[in-house]
Amino acid sequence: MQFGEKKVIDGLSFDVARGETFGFLGSNGSGKTTTIRALLGIYRPTSGTLNINGQVFGDGFGARLGYLPEERGLYKKESVLDVMSYFGRLKGLSRNEAQKFSREYLDRVDLADKAGQRVDKLSGGEQQKIQLGVTIMNEPELLILDEPTKGFDPVNRRLLMDIIEDSKRAGATVMMVTHQMEEVERLCDRIILLKDGKSEAYGTIDEVQNQFGGRTIKLKYSGRVPDSPHYQVTLRETNYAELALDESVDEAQVLHDLVTSGVVVRGFVASKRSLDDIFIQVYGENAAAPLALGVK
Amino acid sequence: MDRHNLGTVVAFEFTRTVKKRRFWIATLAIPILLALVFVLVFTSSSSTQSLSEAQKSQTLDFTYTDASSLIDPAIAKALGGAVEKDPGTAVERVKAGKLNAYFSFPASLAKDPVLVYGADQGIFKNGTYDAVAKQIVVLSAQEKVGSPQLVAAVQGNFNTQTETFKGGVLSGGLQTVIPPLLFLVLFYVVIILLANQMLASTLEEKENRVTEMILTTLNPTTLVVGKIISLFMVGALQSIVFASPMLLGYVFFRDQLAIPNFDLSKLSFQFWPMLIGALLLIGGFILFTGVLVSIGAVMPTAKEASMVFGPVMLMMFIPFYIVTMVVSDPGSVIVQIFTFFPFTAPVTAMLRNAFGSLNGVSAAIVIAELFIFGVLALRLAVHLFRYGSIEYSRKLSLRTAFAKRS
Repeated sequence: MQFGEKKVIDGLSFDVARGETFGFLGSNGSGKTTTIRALLGIYRPTSGTLNINGQVFGDGFGARLGYLPEERGLYKKESVLDVMSYFGRLKGLSRNEAQKFSREYLDRVDLADKAGQRVDKLSGGEQQKIQLGVTIMNEPELLILDEPTKGFDPVNRRLLMDIIEDSKRAGATVMMVTHQMEEVERLCDRIILLKDGKSEAYGTIDEVQNQFGGRTIKLKYSGRVPDSPHYQVTLRETNYAELALDESVDEAQVLHDLVTSGVVVRGFVASKRSLDDIFIQVYGENAAAPLALGVK
Repeated sequence: MDRHNLGTVVAFEFTRTVKKRRFWIATLAIPILLALVFVLVFTSSSSTQSLSEAQKSQTLDFTYTDASSLIDPAIAKALGGAVEKDPGTAVERVKAGKLNAYFSFPASLAKDPVLVYGADQGIFKNGTYDAVAKQIVVLSAQEKVGSPQLVAAVQGNFNTQTETFKGGVLSGGLQTVIPPLLFLVLFYVVIILLANQMLASTLEEKENRVTEMILTTLNPTTLVVGKIISLFMVGALQSIVFASPMLLGYVFFRDQLAIPNFDLSKLSFQFWPMLIGALLLIGGFILFTGVLVSIGAVMPTAKEASMVFGPVMLMMFIPFYIVTMVVSDPGSVIVQIFTFFPFTAPVTAMLRNAFGSLNGVSAAIVIAELFIFGVLALRLAVHLFRYGSIEYSRKLSLRTAFAKRS
C-alpha cells in the first residue's frame, strides 16, 4: 500500500483463524489503521486483498463484519434508536430486527432510557457503548476493534469485555488493535507487531516472547547489583531491579553470581519478558540497547 | 448498487431532514411571509377600493378661468367647477383657506402649463387637483372632436394582434417561451435551496467522524447517490410548500391580490423545447451537485467549504449579466462560450432553448457535455468522499487524493 511515492504498508501478510482473538499491535504511525482501512476497502490498496474464508472481501461482506474504528463517531443530531436502526438496516437487518436488537442492547448497557435522546446529549462513554452496539448488531463473523477500551472506565471496560466475549462465544473472530498489553496478554491468542508497515513479530504470545529472548528476572534485594556479561539491568529502583538475561545463561547461574557478589536476595522471580518490554524494545527510543542482546 | 441500502440511505436522509424543527421553520417561513404579504395586499386593496369608491362620489369644489376657450363649462360644472369671478384674488383666497382650489387654463395649452392652486390635503389626495384639471381638458377636447375613433387614435387607445411564422408554421410567441423557462426557474430554485445542504451532507459524515463506520457497511457511491436523491426529494417538498400560497392565491384570491390574469390555457408546451429543457435541468443538477459534494468531501468544515462554494454559485448567475445578448444576439462569441462552458452552460442553454435560438446540434452537445461532466463530477465526489471524509480535521489536497488512488 502506498500513497504516491510513500510506501506505507510493505509486504504484510497474516492469517487470523476462525474463532480466535488476534492482537494487531504497533506504535502510533506504524500503519495499523491504514492496514485495516485497506483491508476493509476504505482505501484501495496498491496490491493485496483481505480474504475471508477464501473469498476476497467485497461489498457484500459488510453485513458479516463489525468494525469499531479508532475515530469514534455517530450521527450526533439523531436519536440513539434512529442511528442504531439505520446501521442495522444497512447491515441487512429488517426494521423490526434492528429496533429489537437496539432496545435489548440499550437495556443491557443501562441506556434504555436514552433511546429517544439525541446522540450528542450522551456522555462520551455512553456514545462509545452505542457505537459498540452498532458494531456487533449484525452478529458479525469478524469483529475488528480499534482501541476498543479507549475512553472507558474500569466498570465499563469490564462490560465491554463481556460483550466481546459474548460475541466470541457466538462464533465471532476478533481482531483488536490496542496499546494495552495486559489486555493483549489476557485476551489474544496470537498477535502481530507492526513497525513502519512491516511485520516485526507474528505468532502466539509465547512465540513472540521467545522470539525476543524472553527471560527476565524480577529481583528484590539489598546491597548493590553488580554489572555482569550474563545479564543487563533493564530497571533499577530502590531494592528492586529487573534483569534481562543472555540466552546462554540460566537463572541459577545468575542467582549464584548475585549471592557471591554480596547481594542479599529477598525475592527472585524468573519469567518471560512482558509484551510491554518487547513493545518498548521494538518501538522505544532506546531500542538499540535490548537489541544488542542479540535476541533478534 | 445495492438497492436495499440505497433505499435505506434515502429514507434515513430524507426522514431526518424533514423531522427537524429547523427544517420546517426555514421551509414555512417563506410561505408564512408570503401569506402575510398577501393579507396586507388584500387589506390594502380593499381599503384602496373603498377609498376610490368614496372619491368617485365626492366632487371637488374649485373655480377656474379659461383663456384657451377650450373648456366646456358643462363638463367643468359636472366635475364641481365654477367660473372664477375675481381671478386677481383667487390665489390669495386659496392661500387664506377661503377657496378650495383654483385652476388657470392658459391661452395655449401647447406652450404653457395649467396653473393649479389648492388647499393641501396630503401628498396622495393633492394629486386629485391635477387629475381633475387634466380630465376637464381631455373631456372638453373629446367633446370638440366629436369622434370617439379619432380620440382613441390620437390617444393610442387601441390594440394590435401579431402573428409571426417560422418555417411556414405559426410561431407561438411568449406562450412558447414561458414553459421551457420553467425549467430554468426550477434549476435555480433547486440549486439555491439545496446547495448548502449538498455541501453539508458529506461534511456531516466527516465532522461526525462516522465515515469509517459507514464505509464498511456501504459503498460510497450508494451513500452519495442516496444523499443526492434524498436532497432532491427535500427540494421538491420545499418547492411545493413554497409554491402553495402562490397557487392558492392565484386560484382563489386573484382579484383581491391584484395578480395578473394570465390565461394559462394559451401556454404552448412544445415537445422538443420541453424535452431539451428537462435534460438540461437534469444534467445541470448532476453537474452542480457533483461539484458541491466534492467540495464538501475535500473541506474539513462548513465554514471553509463555503469559501469555495461562493465562486461555483456565482457561475450560475454570470449568464444573467449577458441575458440581453443571449436573447438578441445568440451567435455572439461570448454567448457561444457561455453556452458550452460547463458551469455557465445550463442557464445559458436553457435561456436559448426557451427563446428558440438553441439548435438541435448545439442542444445535443450541451446535454452530452453536462451529463458527461456531471457523471465525472459525481465519480470525483465519490472518490474524494472515500479519502477526504476520513481526513477528519484536515483539508484533503487533490494531489494526496489522487496519490491515494495509486
